[in-house]
Amino acid sequence: MQPVTYELLLNGRSRQVTVEEDTPLLWVLRDLLGLTGTKFGCGMGLCGACTVHLDGTPARSCLLPIAAVAGRAITTIEGLAQDGQHPLQRAWVSEGVPQCGYCQSGQIMTAAALLADQGQPSDADIDSAMSGILCRCGTYDRIRRAIRRAAVELWEPDGEAGQ
Amino acid sequence: MSLTRRAFIRNLSATGGGLCLGFTLHSRAQGPDELRPNAFLRISPTGAIALQIHKAEMGQGVVTGFCTVVAEELGVLPEAIDFQFAPVDPAFKDPDFHMQITGGSTSLRVNYTMLRRTGASARDMLLRAASARSGKPYAALACVEGRVRDTDGGVDFSFAELADEAAGFPVPEDPPLKAAADFTLVGRFDDRLDSASKVDGSARYGIDAGPPGVPLAVMVRPPVAHGRMTGFSADAARAMPGVLAVVAVDGGVAVVAGNYWRARKAAEAVEVRWEASSSELVDSQRIDDALRAAFRDGDFREVREDGAPPPENAGALLEAEYSVPFLAHAAMEPLNCTLVPDGDGAEVWVGTQAPDLARSFAALGLGIDEERIVVHNQFLGGGFGRRAFADNVFEAAQIARAIDGPVKLVWSREDDTRHDFYRPASRSQLRARLDGGHVLGWEHRIAGPSVMQSAAASIAPGLLPGWIPDGLIRFGAGLLGDRDGSSVEGAKELPYAFDHVRVSYCNVETPVRLGFWRSVGHSFNAFVVECFVDELAHAAGEDPLAFRRRHLAADSPQRRVLDAVATLAGWGAAPAGHFQGVAVHASFESVVAEVVEISLSDGQPKLEKVYCAVDCGTAVNPDIVRAQMESGIVFGLTAALKGEITFVDGAVQQGNFHDYEILRMHEVPPIEVAIIDSDAPPTGVGEPGTPPAAPALANAIFAATGQRLRSLPLRLA
Repeated sequence: MQPVTYELLLNGRSRQVTVEEDTPLLWVLRDLLGLTGTKFGCGMGLCGACTVHLDGTPARSCLLPIAAVAGRAITTIEGLAQDGQHPLQRAWVSEGVPQCGYCQSGQIMTAAALLADQGQPSDADIDSAMSGILCRCGTYDRIRRAIRRAAVELWEPDGEAGQ
Repeated sequence: MSLTRRAFIRNLSATGGGLCLGFTLHSRAQGPDELRPNAFLRISPTGAIALQIHKAEMGQGVVTGFCTVVAEELGVLPEAIDFQFAPVDPAFKDPDFHMQITGGSTSLRVNYTMLRRTGASARDMLLRAASARSGKPYAALACVEGRVRDTDGGVDFSFAELADEAAGFPVPEDPPLKAAADFTLVGRFDDRLDSASKVDGSARYGIDAGPPGVPLAVMVRPPVAHGRMTGFSADAARAMPGVLAVVAVDGGVAVVAGNYWRARKAAEAVEVRWEASSSELVDSQRIDDALRAAFRDGDFREVREDGAPPPENAGALLEAEYSVPFLAHAAMEPLNCTLVPDGDGAEVWVGTQAPDLARSFAALGLGIDEERIVVHNQFLGGGFGRRAFADNVFEAAQIARAIDGPVKLVWSREDDTRHDFYRPASRSQLRARLDGGHVLGWEHRIAGPSVMQSAAASIAPGLLPGWIPDGLIRFGAGLLGDRDGSSVEGAKELPYAFDHVRVSYCNVETPVRLGFWRSVGHSFNAFVVECFVDELAHAAGEDPLAFRRRHLAADSPQRRVLDAVATLAGWGAAPAGHFQGVAVHASFESVVAEVVEISLSDGQPKLEKVYCAVDCGTAVNPDIVRAQMESGIVFGLTAALKGEITFVDGAVQQGNFHDYEILRMHEVPPIEVAIIDSDAPPTGVGEPGTPPAAPALANAIFAATGQRLRSLPLRLA
């Protein structure tokens, strides 16, 4: 299999990589582009630590061949918001979610897609959207709270949330 | 006393370099003649404050805890302190483990006073400098948020402008410590200092660290634990794009390529030939048979006996046998290690609980002196005891030596699951004699392998000189195994006042390599003890919580946390269709009680709510204490409902998260934690939340179904 050159639209910028067509996006991000915020956990799409956005939809980058993502908008944790100030990132800090922190990029990217899609998700919506992302530190209940907090903030962007 | 105290903190300031105090952590076990500073607090002339942390941050919050305690006494905000992970130094060795290790929920409980004293010493020297410069009396000055001020507002110095002058004052012999009533941070500061970097992808774990462009390596291993590789075929792999090398190392074949995917694909083309004798093939059934047989003819060593045994035939006899399986750690970050040879030395990037072990094994693998190796410790993507070993570092070092160049070794999830140092399987046989509600006797016999014996044999090659023969190492480790407290911890310390208590242990060796798994022996002994106590309560016809209370001293911490959790959970008044179970357990100097509340859904237990009360002395950061209880509970419930590693024909049957499952969000209920108010020094929080979770759940299942499940994972008939 010969390497092929691909144009990627990554975090709003155009990037070029030359790599075999079956290489998963995860390893292009980590090993070729040095974007290490997206994590390797299982390599089988089971844990969700590698979740990124593909045209705004959460996707497991460990299973996504690079050939399938060329020309589509890819967003990683590094590109979710400027200076880490997405309402979810702030909520994650406020609720003290991260422990070891390794899975949290995948958790936040999944939650961001949920909020973009549903705005005000119910607890059942949250469980359903998030149950594919594993956390060995057991931060799930705090993740629920952080998503609810960010949902309120996004709903009331003038800062009435929490008052 | 004052001489000893002064010796713990030294002024290491260099002229013009600000104030630098070196201090000695783990001071409790060191004599004055071996004191030398092993940690540092620096206030530079620019005002930057640095604290070197000699412990691993694996989520338990040690970075935040250490900075908060120093900040409290120094008079700064915790976020003003830059934390740095310490290099390897003999002075960092843990006095109990004789290694530089993070484990046993010891970090804050062992170092609390020394951290306070160091912060207070720096504060004292800054105040003396401010007093000398301003002419104001020392007593009128205070350190507040990084500045020295006086009561009437006439003095306002930054730490930066005082640092050099402060360095000229002697380290106080007995620096005054703040009274707990004056704390503004300890017990109040609720943030985590590492959160921001863990939500934007910038936190560096071992797998992210090291210089760019280092070739990736993956391993191909024999399918069985004790298989010896007799050869391998790699022509096809070597011909694949970007493959740099295929080399044999201990444990298998390493495939090195430009990126992980190339290495992984090429690894699939490597064929490993191996052999193993049938007696070496680990088999779960055979191990379980051996554990059962121990109760017939094993050599049990008594570890506790209190009171006189009841006469035979006294009261009603209750007998039960409990068992738990092997477990893997399954940290989210697969093991990895980056190693870059540099002249006649090397640099290592790894997230480890034992940096000195990492350095020793790097030296062993490279065949060079360990003094030439620098270890850069990183954030750990979960530790739970797994990263107290350095097999990953040894492999990386061997690969680097074989290819004569830098390498980043990354294990697959399957490697991680199948080549762990496992929590041991264990069986317990219990007999109690009960006269109405009166417990005449409690006998607990434990049969299982020794964690310490196995772990010692695993790490000895890195720690001991190479001329010590393997046989001697195994002999020494065997002696350790017979005295291993971790096999009986949590059973030996039975807190209930029964007339007669006898606990004994039989060391049943297995070929499985074992390790420290969050709360170690407590992880299974709490399950056994707290379930069988529940059985006694039901046999006595008494409420399980009332039965426990009646057998605990009125002023015991167990009683205190039980009462707190009963109130929190509304014990005895669960909503219709909900059922509660309770357990209480002391470990790592803390005491935790939990109530698990379940319902039944399609005949299976559904977790509805967990309540927890913890007495951990001073809760330095209450939110991190709550988070650690939540974390420990989910860890314990995961083991209770899902966890099981099995061996068939030498091979671990599980490999990834589809067959070694961990709880997912929709399975985990809200958890409510109450912290008992206390001014006592802090005790452990990383592990003590785990032990009570499984028995509380099993007891809830009994309340809901009448089925007494005595094996983990819990499976309803």
